[in-house]
Amino acid sequence: MKTESKLESILNKGEFAVTAEIGPPKHSSPEAIKHHAEMMRDYVDATNITDCQTAIVRMSSIAAGLHVMKNGIEPIIQMTCRDRNRIAMQSDLLGAYSLGVRNVLCLSGDHQKFGNHPTAKNVYDIDSMQLINMVRRMRDDKVFLCGEEIKQAEPRFFIGAVANPFADPFEFRVVRLEKKINAGAEFIQTQCIFDMERFERFMEMVRQRGLHERVHILAGVTPLKSWRAAKYMQTSVSGMIVPDEIVERLKKAEDPKKEGIEICIEQIKHIRNIPGVHGVHIMAIAWEEIVPEIVQRAGLYPRPKAE
Amino acid sequence: MIGTIAKPMEEIMPYLEGKDNLMVIGCNGCAKAIHSGGEAEVNQMVAELEKRGKKVIAAGAPERTCYIQHTRAFLEPLQQELNDCGAIVVMGCGGAVQIVRQATEEKHLLKHIVSSLNSIGHFDTVVPGTEFVEQCMECGDCMLNMTGSICPVTKCAKGLLNGPCGGSQNGKCEVNPDRDCAWVLIYNRLKALGELDKMQQYQPPKDNSKITRPRRAVYNEKTGTALA
Repeated sequence: MKTESKLESILNKGEFAVTAEIGPPKHSSPEAIKHHAEMMRDYVDATNITDCQTAIVRMSSIAAGLHVMKNGIEPIIQMTCRDRNRIAMQSDLLGAYSLGVRNVLCLSGDHQKFGNHPTAKNVYDIDSMQLINMVRRMRDDKVFLCGEEIKQAEPRFFIGAVANPFADPFEFRVVRLEKKINAGAEFIQTQCIFDMERFERFMEMVRQRGLHERVHILAGVTPLKSWRAAKYMQTSVSGMIVPDEIVERLKKAEDPKKEGIEICIEQIKHIRNIPGVHGVHIMAIAWEEIVPEIVQRAGLYPRPKAE
Repeated sequence: MIGTIAKPMEEIMPYLEGKDNLMVIGCNGCAKAIHSGGEAEVNQMVAELEKRGKKVIAAGAPERTCYIQHTRAFLEPLQQELNDCGAIVVMGCGGAVQIVRQATEEKHLLKHIVSSLNSIGHFDTVVPGTEFVEQCMECGDCMLNMTGSICPVTKCAKGLLNGPCGGSQNGKCEVNPDRDCAWVLIYNRLKALGELDKMQQYQPPKDNSKITRPRRAVYNEKTGTALA
């Protein structure tokens, strides 16, 4: 064990991990976060706390992570490269660790064009690859990015990164994954998977390179509430492939929400049988309440205890 | 060249309130090439200002307004107009505006200078006369040798250095589906060159101290080069 992360301990034991996602609010009340945390507490091993996702101003992921932690769930703090330079990011990493955060997920971040401040200036002083490497070196080499020694109490995060098997160029995606592992990534959460065939091909390439033995891959799934939601993801969300069958299936369903849950459970069961996948990451966007039911019905309840 | 586009007249006019007997100085370098401040546009500006009740007492476009010697030479025969003018409208890049200021200060004149263009970047002419694109943003730490002569710092919306983000689909950038993903272009070119290994290498964070502004280059006689 490199860290005190419960998620790391569960993955290292070879358990099939379950993570979910909580989006912080667009205001300063923690009530909704607390509610979602309490509800999910017994059903997931950790929850991601998004960092101003889609470039919309929300409560800081570290602050929201603290509320989640107080309510009994281990947070995975998402950190994007969009809004902070290397100085601010390292400062926040020290702060987050001092508050008890043990997992960090390193991402580039959605471009500000998509958010509520399209006139903002982005930062991208470092990219996600360099962020991963920076967090690893702070922990293992006890140095800041500049090379200066961290004289005491280095932050010891379990380091996560993302992979999108549905973006271009497809053949490069697995190379990029390997680059992230070399940079220091220890667990990977993927983009929402709807095109199972393409994900299987991606995993085949992962296994060919032996990457599944070097990193824990958590496959991303998203329950859909309606065919419109599926259509929206198909046409308007970049880096996503949603096959027509899913749209059609939801369209034909008498109870689309129920069907959306069914599809998600089927996907999880399928994913569990793909060699090299070590867990599932459930992104129930604006539908956090559904996570316990999905976990239970997918046969992933009760959750294992960490050591 | 430096790309420039016109500010709306509504933005310029308040700066000219109470000022008359104007001078208009364009630039027959970059601003001419991109049709924002060459002689033709200077003439249009003069007509527009006159339509709005202003008197223009001198107008023209130096060869390259950002070269101090060209601007000095342009102003030399206009000493009287320079003394009399209430403001100078400059139709050039931000550099041209400041060179005109310098030229007036050298003559111990304190003149109102009004910029009528927005500078939008270091542009390359890809179709002469019609299409100009930003391909280099002068980061001071060029990595084109690693990326098949395609700059990700400029052409990737996030300026990523280690490959495409998750928003690259069908070869296009998520930020603007009309725009190619820079990293897909790089990937395809490196693949053709048999140099894909370059994309597998970890690129460390950029040395941004090289773009600490303002940068400066000074010619050194001993070495025969301009040193940053």
